[in-house]
Amino acid sequence: MITQHPSRLHITSRVAASLLGSYAFVWGFVSLVSASSLWAGVPYDDAMQLSSWLGMLLFVASVCGAFTVTSLARVWAVLAGGGALMTGAAWLLLRGLS
Amino acid sequence: MLESFQKSLTWVHTWFGLVLGFVLMSVFFFGSLSVFDREIDRWAIPETRFGPQPLPSYDRVLAPIFARIKPDADELAMGEARVGKPLPAGLPLKSWSVYTTHRDPVLTLWGEFAIDNPNAPEDHVHGHITIDPRSGAALPGDPLAIGSRFFYPMHFSLHLRWLSLGYWIVGLAALSMLVALVSGVVIHRKLFRELFTFRPQKNLQRSSLDLHNLTGVVALPFHFMFALTGMIIFAEIYLPLSETTFKPFHDAHERAEAAAKNLPLKPAGVAAPLASVDAMVDEAKRRWAARDMPGEVGWLIVEHAGDANAYVAVYRAGSDRVSLVGQQIYFEGTTGKVLYEAPPPSAIASISHWLTGLHLQHFRHWLLRWLYVLGGLSGCVCIATGLVFFVNKRKRRHAEEGIAGARWADALAVTAVLGPLTAALAMLVANRVLPGALPDRGEWQERTFWAAWLVSFLHAAWRSAPAQQARLAPAWREQCWGVVLLAAAAVIANWISTGDHLLRTVSARYWPVAGFDLALSCTALIAGAAALRLGRNERRQSAGVERDDALQDDDGALEAVHG
Repeated sequence: MITQHPSRLHITSRVAASLLGSYAFVWGFVSLVSASSLWAGVPYDDAMQLSSWLGMLLFVASVCGAFTVTSLARVWAVLAGGGALMTGAAWLLLRGLS
Repeated sequence: MLESFQKSLTWVHTWFGLVLGFVLMSVFFFGSLSVFDREIDRWAIPETRFGPQPLPSYDRVLAPIFARIKPDADELAMGEARVGKPLPAGLPLKSWSVYTTHRDPVLTLWGEFAIDNPNAPEDHVHGHITIDPRSGAALPGDPLAIGSRFFYPMHFSLHLRWLSLGYWIVGLAALSMLVALVSGVVIHRKLFRELFTFRPQKNLQRSSLDLHNLTGVVALPFHFMFALTGMIIFAEIYLPLSETTFKPFHDAHERAEAAAKNLPLKPAGVAAPLASVDAMVDEAKRRWAARDMPGEVGWLIVEHAGDANAYVAVYRAGSDRVSLVGQQIYFEGTTGKVLYEAPPPSAIASISHWLTGLHLQHFRHWLLRWLYVLGGLSGCVCIATGLVFFVNKRKRRHAEEGIAGARWADALAVTAVLGPLTAALAMLVANRVLPGALPDRGEWQERTFWAAWLVSFLHAAWRSAPAQQARLAPAWREQCWGVVLLAAAAVIANWISTGDHLLRTVSARYWPVAGFDLALSCTALIAGAAALRLGRNERRQSAGVERDDALQDDDGALEAVHG
């Protein structure tokens, strides 16, 4: 827990995590939801639209979350790691589909 | 990040609100203007001041005009820059299209011409002619439609075309708006009380926070839906899955859809005449009426015009509902036979049409249209008061510590809040006073817009110096007077150059121009009242009567929490 004013580096890293990390996380999430929907037989346009709506809402939550979770390391791990994992899972699903 | 959940979100609200607030202000302001973009066009192009017209006959009126369309010079120049070599004369035609709404007196006809770009197989350039549909005569000089072709694109792209940078900045601003709304609700939690709290007679800090909370809470659903639907409309730009990882699926889907519609994707290369398009329009209207949705044509496209593979798409205008449904019907160009009729949309597509329609408001409902303007302007008030609060909270401390931060935030706040207003008004005055025969008259109006904004920034940077001593920056008052002068000048210039003064336009009930002149007059009055009040506060401050950051009232604790 940080009790004093966070350092400049810490703030920069938080802001980067909140925007770039969240972008990676949302990209992975939207990819995975779209790919799973296609897998489940949802028509292409419906799959892409529904996932992007959820993705935009997730983006807002993720930006807020990046500042409220205490451990910055965990923020980066969840956002970048989770984003990469979901993007990878979506890629595997798509490979199975084509 | 900070020691509590609430403090962390306060930090996010403060700093995201400040940095993106400068951009959001323009997005909200030009978005509010875009609600009446067509009406602003009428004000700016006096020769088009007549009532909205129905789509004229394609066969008799439009067909010969389409045949005259050539690629626009600026489009050709941009196309040559993309390809990297001069384009040949007589580019092959791809399509013709025409688009109209229940608010358009004049009609713009578009042509798309294919260019040979090895990197982009679908690359093309546009050409257009705007006509008076009553006579079919072309509008001379191609005047700039300030509302629909300048203020509206400003709203979503900031006119920053390079790398679509404007779209990304606006998207980031919309995201920040949503984050600011969520964090704002978490910070306060006394939403109901804030609906009824505004104390204009208290100190500046108290009243600006009251107004910030009031406008934020009253219009919360509006702000939330508009920021969200704005991001959804451009979702494919922000998350280009269909162009990257999902491209094979996207392309396969497109091919399957084209096969189902039975539409020829490529021209046959054999010339063939078009059957009667008027008959196709009649058939489309008959089919819409049969579905219990009688309507007019909003958008008409002729693909591969003049080719044996030509087809015609007829879209229904969305004047009678929020949802932006096209209900398009496709006809074979050479025979007029129906090729494909769009089926009823899926549940997801219906929601999508509704969300898009809610933002783009094609419907005919003037009260709702005005509520949109009020919602947008309340967003402007919310952002502006947030910026004012930020500056005043820090001004005294920064003055004591010799930091220039608050002063520059104040200068940028003036540039962000009064700059767009000054720039838009200067552009409108230029629109009325520049000589009619001036070459590139449209470009000169755009240059006036950017120059006026630059002047607003330079003036704000200069006249915000007293903020460094924790005093009110005179830049606010002086630019308010600038707004008074420019808004009054616009109304008077419209009167002198066209003879359409308010008495005439109001008695003729010609609301596009009367309404805009009234809005300009209100702008002048409000800016004048604000300037007088700012002047009073500045004099009181120099007399030492009031410290504008006095927080000694019982709500000081609430403010301490806020940023």
